[in-house]
Amino acid sequence: MASENGQESAEFGVVVHDVWRHFGSVPALSGVSISAPYGQVTALVGPNGAGKTTLLLILASLLRPDRGEVRVAGADPVADPFGVRSQMGWMPDSFGVYDQLTVYEYLGFFADAYRMKRASVPSRVAELLTLIHLSEFAYQPVHVLSRGQKQRLALARALIHRPRVLLLDEPASGLDPRSRVELRDILRGLAAEGAAVLVSSHILTELEEIADRVVLVDRGRTAGEHTMNELAAQARTAYRVRATDPAVLASALQSRGVQATGGNGTGTELPPMSEDEAADLLAGLVGGGVRVVAFEPLGSNLESVYMAMTEERR
Amino acid sequence: MNTPTPYGIWLVTRQEFRIRLRTGRWRWLLGGWVALLAIFTALLDLSVQTGYGFANDNARRGVPLFGILMLFVLGMVLVISPALTSQTINGDRERGTLATLQVTKLTPLEIALGKLLAGWGVGLVALALTLPFAGYAMANGGITIGRVAAVYGVVAILIGVVCAVSQALSALLARSITSALLSYLTVAALTIGTLISFALIAPLITEPHTQRDPDGYVYTYTVMRQDRVWWLLAPNPFVVVADAAPQVPPQITQRGDVVYVDDYDPLSMIGRGVRDLRRPPDYQYSSYTEQDRGEPVWPIGLAFNVLLGVGAVAVTAARLRTPSRRLSRGVRIA
Repeated sequence: MASENGQESAEFGVVVHDVWRHFGSVPALSGVSISAPYGQVTALVGPNGAGKTTLLLILASLLRPDRGEVRVAGADPVADPFGVRSQMGWMPDSFGVYDQLTVYEYLGFFADAYRMKRASVPSRVAELLTLIHLSEFAYQPVHVLSRGQKQRLALARALIHRPRVLLLDEPASGLDPRSRVELRDILRGLAAEGAAVLVSSHILTELEEIADRVVLVDRGRTAGEHTMNELAAQARTAYRVRATDPAVLASALQSRGVQATGGNGTGTELPPMSEDEAADLLAGLVGGGVRVVAFEPLGSNLESVYMAMTEERR
Repeated sequence: MNTPTPYGIWLVTRQEFRIRLRTGRWRWLLGGWVALLAIFTALLDLSVQTGYGFANDNARRGVPLFGILMLFVLGMVLVISPALTSQTINGDRERGTLATLQVTKLTPLEIALGKLLAGWGVGLVALALTLPFAGYAMANGGITIGRVAAVYGVVAILIGVVCAVSQALSALLARSITSALLSYLTVAALTIGTLISFALIAPLITEPHTQRDPDGYVYTYTVMRQDRVWWLLAPNPFVVVADAAPQVPPQITQRGDVVYVDDYDPLSMIGRGVRDLRRPPDYQYSSYTEQDRGEPVWPIGLAFNVLLGVGAVAVTAARLRTPSRRLSRGVRIA
């Protein structure tokens, strides 16, 4: 049993078990449980007010949970916050930067504040500036940076002390498409190097490309924890089909009892179904002589799971 | 638990200085401060020479010059000091730069002391800029270096106390406007509030006093027992500074039966005033010598203020301790 627990903390950068937290009479977390393994990117998904930021503040050793068990990089943020901080990087959803400092000074200050060896600071700062493509701004004051560049600088700040656990709260908000792709590559790279990355976001298609696993949170509770592969198999997604002759397609669908909804010039929309059902339908249509030219899922698996989860709220 | 180190404190102080100094307005503020001091000292010098009859007593002209200048400087730094730190914590919260500091290895006490030293340091620079004018007063005679050192030392400590209390308020209150207002109210409580409370409470502490005449008449009257409530005035910064200054030997002149005691020194006058309050009502004054100066008030006042400052730093550090139980109001939930 003891070895099993040791195994668990060795595999997981973040372990949260039955954590509760309320603010006054407002419950923010009501028994949430999640985990984020090393070497993987875990997405934290949920509607506004689900408790994502509260959970990340607790993991970042800033907020005390009412009760429940929390381990970040094997340490308890309440009992040993400094043990957590030396292994954990945190990027909040809204933050300020010291506008008067240069980019280099900004990162240098945090390197000092994390008590990194002075000799190692210049090379580490240079390395991060290359990573976030801000090398040419090293000696510019922070206030000349755009919102997206500041966002990247904040990511570099969170990475300065080479944390093994990275907590990111809405890191993609405010980023242009190119920066998003670069953020995705950076996070995948960190996970490949063995870090446990936990990302909260609303941009679901984005997360689908970044994350290996997804944790769904709703009303302060865990609503589901899946790997992306599982999601693809389980999710029921709407499909769009197009054939050379729409009339033949419509009658073939009707005879199979499929409720096709209108559709525009690009094809006919089919109700949500699993991958297996979709494959069966496609095989049936083609076998029945319908000349199908396109058959594609609409939206992402993650989006459909998210929609299904939030559906119940209305 | 990490223990606070001088290096960590220095990191925070250096950071605060870098952020403040690069905003640039400080040059104008300090320039204006020196100009104000120059105008004040020049006018004071003229009025002491002409209006107060010191034109022919050049050996002692520095005494009133220094005393009045120091009361002015103290008044001004008490106004400046709250502004130096009353927004350091909640201002950082509003700008969103505090939490990123708290997740580093800097300890709460390092952050609290580092920020305090930066604000206090600016106050000390403002105080140091008054030294040339104090030097001018010294050059006019009657002031010893020990007197200058005592007054400046106490003023320097009081600046730190006001900075520490203002910073604690900024750690306790979410909005920087509120903490700035309360910081000024704290200074007002120490300066005006102590006077008002003494003036209102002293008349309530009375008792009948019986006196027997040499002729055998016995009569009873009511006396105020200020000697029981004098300590209400002790925390007053003006009292602490004035009483801590070494006494200037008073000039005693006798015309007929009347003895005139005058030292032309506002600091000694305040100091003697509060020390006299400590004496019982039937105290027999012998002479105005140093031996009969009475029990000092400033150690109690200074100790009160220093404890206030130390307590304020402890409160600030406690409010910066994370993981915290409560979230400041205004911080978004979830």
